[in-house]
Amino acid sequence: MSEVLLRVENLVKHFTVGAGFLGRAAGLVRAVDDVSFEVRRGETVGLVGESGCGKTTTGRCILQLERPTSGRIVFEGVDLTTLDEQALRAVRRKVQVIFQDPYSSLNPRMTIGQILAEPIKVHRLITDKAKRAARVQELLAQVGLLPQHERRYPHQLSGGQRQRVGIARALAMEPSLIICDEPVSALDVSIQAQIINLLEDLQKRLGLTYLFIAHDLSVVRHISDRVVVMYLGKIAEIADRASLYEDPVHPYTRALLSAVPIPDPKLEAQRNRTVLGGEVPSPLNPPSGCVFHPRCPIAVARCATEIPALREIRPGHGGACHLA
Amino acid sequence: MAALLQVRNLRTSFLTSAGTVRAVDGVSWDVEEGETVALVGESGCGKSVSALSIMRLVAEPAGRIEGGEVLYKGRDLLKLTEEQMRGVRGREIGMVFQEPMTSLNPVLSIGRQLTEGLEIHMQMKPPQARTRAVELLGLVGIPDPERRLGQYPHHFSGGMRQRMMIAMALACNPSLILADEPTTALDVTIQAQILELMRDLSRRLGVAMLIITHNLGVVARYADRVNVMYAGRIIERASAAELYANPRHPYTLGLLRSVPRLDEPRRARLAPIEGQPPDLTRLPPGCAFSPRCAYRVERCSEAPKLEAAGTEQHLSACWESGKLHAALS
Repeated sequence: MSEVLLRVENLVKHFTVGAGFLGRAAGLVRAVDDVSFEVRRGETVGLVGESGCGKTTTGRCILQLERPTSGRIVFEGVDLTTLDEQALRAVRRKVQVIFQDPYSSLNPRMTIGQILAEPIKVHRLITDKAKRAARVQELLAQVGLLPQHERRYPHQLSGGQRQRVGIARALAMEPSLIICDEPVSALDVSIQAQIINLLEDLQKRLGLTYLFIAHDLSVVRHISDRVVVMYLGKIAEIADRASLYEDPVHPYTRALLSAVPIPDPKLEAQRNRTVLGGEVPSPLNPPSGCVFHPRCPIAVARCATEIPALREIRPGHGGACHLA
Repeated sequence: MAALLQVRNLRTSFLTSAGTVRAVDGVSWDVEEGETVALVGESGCGKSVSALSIMRLVAEPAGRIEGGEVLYKGRDLLKLTEEQMRGVRGREIGMVFQEPMTSLNPVLSIGRQLTEGLEIHMQMKPPQARTRAVELLGLVGIPDPERRLGQYPHHFSGGMRQRMMIAMALACNPSLILADEPTTALDVTIQAQILELMRDLSRRLGVAMLIITHNLGVVARYADRVNVMYAGRIIERASAAELYANPRHPYTLGLLRSVPRLDEPRRARLAPIEGQPPDLTRLPPGCAFSPRCAYRVERCSEAPKLEAAGTEQHLSACWESGKLHAALS
């Protein structure tokens, strides 16, 4: 097994909302509440869950775009939470991010060539102008764009092409870890597969490591080696891909899998769905005990009072459920 | 008996700085009483503009319905006055949109948004409208409806707002509901709740539905018949069962093959549709899908008609649909 590239240890991120009396915080959103997992070099870890589960905040804490409330983010053996801005800058080059909406993350007034060259210049990776131009061309080719795309502006490209630029910009920094935050969910179905294949090819060719944040369980199964399922700021289940999808231990994971529609009317007609009642509660006021218990189809009295610990149910397969 | 809704050769275009865009380019389809029909396709295929055209909600002057007929219960909606049309929208045809927050009025209470339509369309007195509003909220599974009437849209979660939209769409007992991406903005567990609710209500109340979506999975479970659109045209039409079992258009086949599926063993590699989505201002002559098509032949520079392929109820606009079928079986 390869070395651990990233270790998230007991990560907690709370946000205070609203100013109450004398500026005191009116409420506390427990966006991420004691989350721990590892990412090994060369693998893809999928981070999946519904809106508000804390998956994006976890990604932003790893990137140090949010400073965690507590916990450690150990990347290549260094705890990022202890670094100052200057020390962080050097690390940031190695941890890159691809966003959901490439259009809002690309400067509309810069050409694709400028967008790709700028970070190389800022980080002084290549100081020679001609060599930098050659590197831009190499990046374009790597992500399946044409040499002439260099002179285009973001609005002249399609959504899929813009996401390719987003990927090229991340690659420009020669990162070891890329956080992919919903990289295909804004794209058309016919284009999603192109981008997923590209990410997989690049991983093989460049030895990249991905943390793949998404809500689409089918896509996550396709791309991930291991999967972390989050619910309301906590890890519900964590396992290898096959183990998680073939034999999930947490009732939330089972309900999620059952909710995904399958494009086959015959199968769909035979399927017995578990439709979860209720909605995701507010992280401002999470339920007592197991945060999933108000919606859980198999909850017992204990679930309302006792927080289930994330424990190993099978070798390498963790679940946070009293009944697993 | 004629279908509830018959769309005939509908054409809608938009004037843009890059030229005229034929967003809907001569499409024809029907919805029978009580059935659920889907319009499926990717962004820019014309599925939403089709729905807006039926309701005569295309933003003028940039957008224009150029021609065709929209026969609802035999009456051509395109020939009605604006005044008459107001009696159709929300009264005879209900609407559910993707983003309920932008379709609900943030400064009107939930109760008022429901009773307004009832008082105007159904000539109900306020107390009667209120009773009906409570009944509607109960019908769509909103708990404690009496108390909810006094609340505002921002008090509701996304799923609740979509339930509220469905209640509004059903308020005046319409025969047809147009649902444009009704669950796209929702989480997967909530999506399942809303879709089950819509199916249950349409069966119970006998309301026909037109579901507009990009999600082939949604369509598989909930639609009786499916129209697949590409670049403003319908390229394939069949019953849901037939379409998924025997796709007769390379685009439909490509869509079905490009998505990873939970019910199948994981594939080493996905099979995408190559190329870029069509640029509607610069469509190729003939079949708009031909630049991306693996089954392309010389004849594709001529536009193929939507014709029976295989069975009489299964239509495909592809010269090679026979060959495609042979390759699959």
